[in-house]
Amino acid sequence: MNVRSRAFRTRRLPLTAEPRPPAPRTRGAGGLFDLTGHTHAGRAQDSLAMDLSGYLIEQEPYYRPVGDEIALFEAAYAARMPMMLKGPTGCGKTRFVEYMAWRLRRPLITVACHEDMTASDLVGRFLLDANGTVWHDGPLTLAVRAGAICYLDEIVEARQDTTVVIHPLTDDRRVLPLEKRGEIIPAHPDFELVISYNPGYQSVLKDLKESTKQRFGAIEFTYPAASVEAEIVAHEAGIDRTEAERLVAIAERSRRLRGHGLDEGASTRTLIYAGRLIARGVGLEAACQVALVLPITDDPDIRDALTAAVAASVPG
Amino acid sequence: MSEHAAAPFRDSLAGLLTEQPALGASFDLLWRQAERAVPAGARASWIGACRDIAQAGLGTACLIAYLRQAPGCASLLGVGPAIALANAAIRIGAVAGSGAALALMAASAKAARLLGSAEAFLDWLGAIERIATLAPDVPTVLLDHTETVLGHLGVRGLETWATSGIRAAGADAEKRRRFFALIDPSARSWLGRGVEDLHFNAVERRMQAYLAALWDCHPTLRAASGSALDLPRRTSFDGALIFVPETYRGVGGERAVALFRAALAHIAAHMRFTRARFPLGTLKPLQVAIVSALEDARVERLAIAEFPGLRPLWLQFHSAAPLGAVTAPGLIARLSRALLDETCHDGHVWVEKGRSLFAERAPGDHDAASIRRIGSLLGNDLGQMRVQFNPRAYVVEPLYRDDNRGIWDFGDASGSPESAPMQEAVRIEAEERGDGHAETSTAEPEPEAGRARALAAVEQEAGVEVARYPEWDYFISRERPDWATVLEYEPPLGRADLVPQIYVRHRGVVDRLSALIRAAKVSRPERLRRQPEGDRLDLEACIAAAVGRRHGEAPDPRVYITIARRGRDLTTLLLLDISQSTADRMHGVGATVLDLEREATALLAHAMEGLGDPFAIRAFCSNGRDEVRYYRVKDFDLPFGSRAQRHLAGLVPGFSTRLGIAIRHAGHELAARRSHRKLLLVVTDGEPSDIDIADRRYLVEDARKAVLGLAHAGIDTFCVGLDAGGDSYLARMFGRRNVLQMDRIERLPERLPTLYLKLTA
Ligand SMILES: Nc1ncnc2c1ncn2[C@@H]1O[C@H](COP(=O)(O)OP(=O)(O)OP(=O)(O)O)[C@@H](O)[C@H]1O
Ligand SMILES: [Mg+2]
Repeated sequence: MNVRSRAFRTRRLPLTAEPRPPAPRTRGAGGLFDLTGHTHAGRAQDSLAMDLSGYLIEQEPYYRPVGDEIALFEAAYAARMPMMLKGPTGCGKTRFVEYMAWRLRRPLITVACHEDMTASDLVGRFLLDANGTVWHDGPLTLAVRAGAICYLDEIVEARQDTTVVIHPLTDDRRVLPLEKRGEIIPAHPDFELVISYNPGYQSVLKDLKESTKQRFGAIEFTYPAASVEAEIVAHEAGIDRTEAERLVAIAERSRRLRGHGLDEGASTRTLIYAGRLIARGVGLEAACQVALVLPITDDPDIRDALTAAVAASVPG
Repeated sequence: MSEHAAAPFRDSLAGLLTEQPALGASFDLLWRQAERAVPAGARASWIGACRDIAQAGLGTACLIAYLRQAPGCASLLGVGPAIALANAAIRIGAVAGSGAALALMAASAKAARLLGSAEAFLDWLGAIERIATLAPDVPTVLLDHTETVLGHLGVRGLETWATSGIRAAGADAEKRRRFFALIDPSARSWLGRGVEDLHFNAVERRMQAYLAALWDCHPTLRAASGSALDLPRRTSFDGALIFVPETYRGVGGERAVALFRAALAHIAAHMRFTRARFPLGTLKPLQVAIVSALEDARVERLAIAEFPGLRPLWLQFHSAAPLGAVTAPGLIARLSRALLDETCHDGHVWVEKGRSLFAERAPGDHDAASIRRIGSLLGNDLGQMRVQFNPRAYVVEPLYRDDNRGIWDFGDASGSPESAPMQEAVRIEAEERGDGHAETSTAEPEPEAGRARALAAVEQEAGVEVARYPEWDYFISRERPDWATVLEYEPPLGRADLVPQIYVRHRGVVDRLSALIRAAKVSRPERLRRQPEGDRLDLEACIAAAVGRRHGEAPDPRVYITIARRGRDLTTLLLLDISQSTADRMHGVGATVLDLEREATALLAHAMEGLGDPFAIRAFCSNGRDEVRYYRVKDFDLPFGSRAQRHLAGLVPGFSTRLGIAIRHAGHELAARRSHRKLLLVVTDGEPSDIDIADRRYLVEDARKAVLGLAHAGIDTFCVGLDAGGDSYLARMFGRRNVLQMDRIERLPERLPTLYLKLTA
C-alpha cells in the first residue's frame, strides 16, 4: 500500500511538491501580518507555501481502529485541541495520524524531531540567494499558514528551548511568532498540532515540561488486543491469520520481559517485518530471529531467553 | 631467507638485550638453542615472530621470555604453535598488558607439555585470548595455575570454568582475583568436579528471562549445592522458590543448557497448572510416584498446547525403552515417555493401560481427583505384578523432572519415607540461608543489643512538629485539610565505620560508578551555538550575519560553535521508607531490607557527590496521622560526611508507611530549592499502610494525589519498589513509567545509583 506523507528530516525543505488536483478544502483567512500590520500577500514564497497539495494523502491508509480513538481525535480536531499520541514505539501512532489526515482531508506535515533540531528548523530562516535574502518557512510555519496537520514525531527528542515555540500555538492565542521576521502568524482555522510521545522513555532531564504536556489532549496507544494485532499483522504482512496469531503470541512473550532485561518488547512494526519475511518463505524461527530478537537486544542472556521462547512457540 | 639475513637481526637483538646485563652472557646460548629447535626452513618466520615481539612494545622481559620458552614449545609441538604463541602474546598484551603476555610465555612450556598436541595448544591460546578480552585482569592470575587448571579441566573445561568464574564474580574484581588465584573455594570445588558440567549460575539470568517471557513467571531460583556424595540430583520447588542442582553431573555444554531449560519449564508448568497440592492421604509411596508422573504428564501436555516447541525440548531427555529387567521405576519412566510422545509404542500392557486411562479425558479435563484415581489404579496393578519398588532409592526420571515435593502436601507425616526428601529440602534451604547469612553478616554487624538501644534512643528523642498536610480521601473525593502532622527528627548517630565498610564491600560497584560518573561528566558535551569564539563556524549564525549585513545592520560577530559540558542543574531528594517491614530479613541473603536500602543510599550518595548534584536524604515512617516521622539524614547543603553517614547508619526500622504525607513534605522541601529540575526518589518496600487506616486503597489514592501535586509544582517523582508483587499499586501511585520494580532486592545497592545515572542522563 502506498501512503503518501512527507517527513522533514533535513534542513532543506522539499519545495518540489508534485502537482495534484486541488483538493476540496475550506480556506480560512490565513492572512499574513507583520507587527506593523502590512500584509505580504504578494510574495512568491508565501504562495508557494500555501500549496500543500503534495502533502495531501489521497489513498485511504489502512488503519484498524483499536478503540474509540477515531471519534476522540475527530472531536479533538473539531475543537482544534492540540493532541498528544502516547504510546510505545511501533504501535501505530504515525499510521493513525496519516489515517486521520486522510479522513479529515488535511495535508499532513511530519517532522521527525531530534536532539540537534533548533527552533529555526521548525519555524523557518532567512537564506541567501543571488539577489539578497529570502525567508524560508519551516514545516511548522507552513502548516500554520495553510491549515495543515503538523505532526511532531518523538517530540521529547527535541531540546526544550525548541519545544517552547509551540507554546503560543497551543493555547488560546493560536499564533506563531516569527521572531526573526518580526511577524506573528495567526494559525489557519484548520491548523492542528499533533505530537507523539513515548512514555517508556525514562530520562527526567529529557522529559517534556509539565507546561508543555498540559497543553495537549492525549490519546493513549498500546499494542492492540491479540486478535486485533493479528488482524493488522496479517493484513500488513500478507500472511494468514494463524501465522499472524503465532507472531502476536511471541510478541506478548517478549513484552513480558519489559523491565526484566528489555526496555521495550517487540512492537507491532517488528511483527509486520517478521511477517513479511515469512511471506517470502522464511521460516518462523528465522524470521523472528531477524526481525524481533536480534534488533531488540544485545544482551546475550536475554537474546538466548527470547530465542528459546520463540522455539517453544513453534510447532514441533 | 637464510643465515645471512638472520645474522644482522641476531646482532640487533643482542644489542637490544645488552641492556639486560644478567642476560648478556647467556644470549648466545639461547640463540643457539632456538636455532636448534627451529628447522632452517622455518627460521625466517621464527625470526619474524621475534621481531614482532621486540616491536610490540611489551618490553625486553617479554622478548627474553619468548626466546627462552618458545624453543621448548617448538621442539615439542613444531614451529607453528611457537609462532602462534608470539602472535597470541602480542594480542593478549594489547588487551591485558605486558604482564599477561609475560605470564603466557611463562605458562606456555607447561601447557605444551600437558596438552601434547599442536591443536590443543592452539585451542589453549585461543581460550586465553578470549578470556583476556572478557576480563583483562584474569590471565595473569589464571596462568600462574596453568598446571593445576589444565590438569583438571583440559582446554575446553578451562574456558567454561573461566567464563563461569568471570560471570559469577560479576563486577567484583577482588572476587574475580580470588577465584582465579584458586583461593575461592567454589573455584576449587569446580576443579574437583570437572567443569565440563555446566554450572547453573552461568545460565541463571537467561533462565529467569525465559520463564518471564513464557509465562510471566518470576520465581526465586537457587543453585543447590551439596557435598560430592549427596549432590541434589533433581530440581525441587516450594511455592515460588526453586532449587536447581548446581550442576547436572556429567552433562555439559548445550545439552546442559537445554536440561536446565527443560527443568525450569517443567516446574513453571506445575506452577501454572498444578493448582493445589495433592493431599497425601493413604496413598502408598508407589502410588505417590505414579500420581506424580501422571500429574507431570498432565501439566506438560497443557503447557505444550500453548507452547508446542516444549515437546521436543522435553522429549530429548526421555530415553526409557522396553529393555532389560522390568522394574517399577523403569515402567514409570516408560509411562512418562508414552504419555508425552503419542508416536512411541511401548507395548507393555501396564504402560498401554496407563496411556489409555489417561487418554479418557483431554489433559485439560483431568482434575486432581481423576489423576489420583488413575494413579491408584495403576499402583494397584503394579503391586500385583510384584515388581520391585524401593521408595528410598527412587529418583524421578527423566533428569529434568523435579522431585515432586512441590506438588504434595505431606501434612505432618514426618515419619513416612517420603518425608525424608522433604526434610532434605528444608535442609538445603537452611543451608542456603546460612550461606547467605555468612556472606552478608558483615553487613549486619550491629548486635541485637545495640539495635534495642538505638530503638530506645528513638523513643526518647522528641520530634519537632514542622507541618500539617491535607490528605486526600478518595471515598468522598475531597481533601481533609490539615489532616496529618509531620514531626521531624534527627536520626540517632550510628556507627561511624558502617558506611565506609559499605564502600569497601562494594568496591567493585564504587569503581564502576566512578567510571560512569566520569563518563557522565565528560560525555555530555553540548554544542553551544553563537559563540564569540570557537573551533567551528556556526553556519546558521554566519548566514544570519550575512543577512544582517545585506540588511545594512552591523553583523553579529558571534558566529562560532564551541563544545562544552552541560551544567547539571538538578536537585534530588532521596526518601527512604524505614517502616517496620524493612526489618524483614531477605530470604537467602540475611540482610534486612533496611540494610539494603542503607547500602544503596551510601552508593547513590557517592554517585551524586561525584556528579556534584545537590541532594538530601530523608527517611520516614508513621504512627498514625498525628505522627508522621521524618528523619533528616543529610541536608542539601552539607556534604555526605561522617555525620550524615552516621545518621544513615543510625536509622532503625519501625512503625508504618504513610507515604503520601512524607511525599508532600519532601515535595515542600524540594519546592523551596532553586533548580531547573527537581527529582524526588522514593524507595519503599510495600504498600502504604498505617495503624489508623483499614481501607487499603485510601493511602494509595492519597499518595497518588500527592505525587500529582508534586508534578504540578514541577517536581518529578520516581519510585523504586522493593515489593515484587507491587506492580499494581506502585503504578497507581507513581504512574507506570515512574516505577522501577526490583525483582531481586539484593541488587538494589547496585541498581539504585545506576538508575539515578540513567534517569538523569
Ligand atoms: N491500528 C493499526 N492499524 C493499521 N496498521 C497498524 C496499526 N497499528 C500498527 N500498525 C502497523 O504498525 C506499523 C508501525 O506503526 P507506526 O509506524 O504508526 O508506529 P509508531 O507508533 O508511529 O512508532 P514510532 O513511535 O516508532 O514512530 C505501521 O506501519 C502499520 O503497518
Ligand atoms: Mg513434576
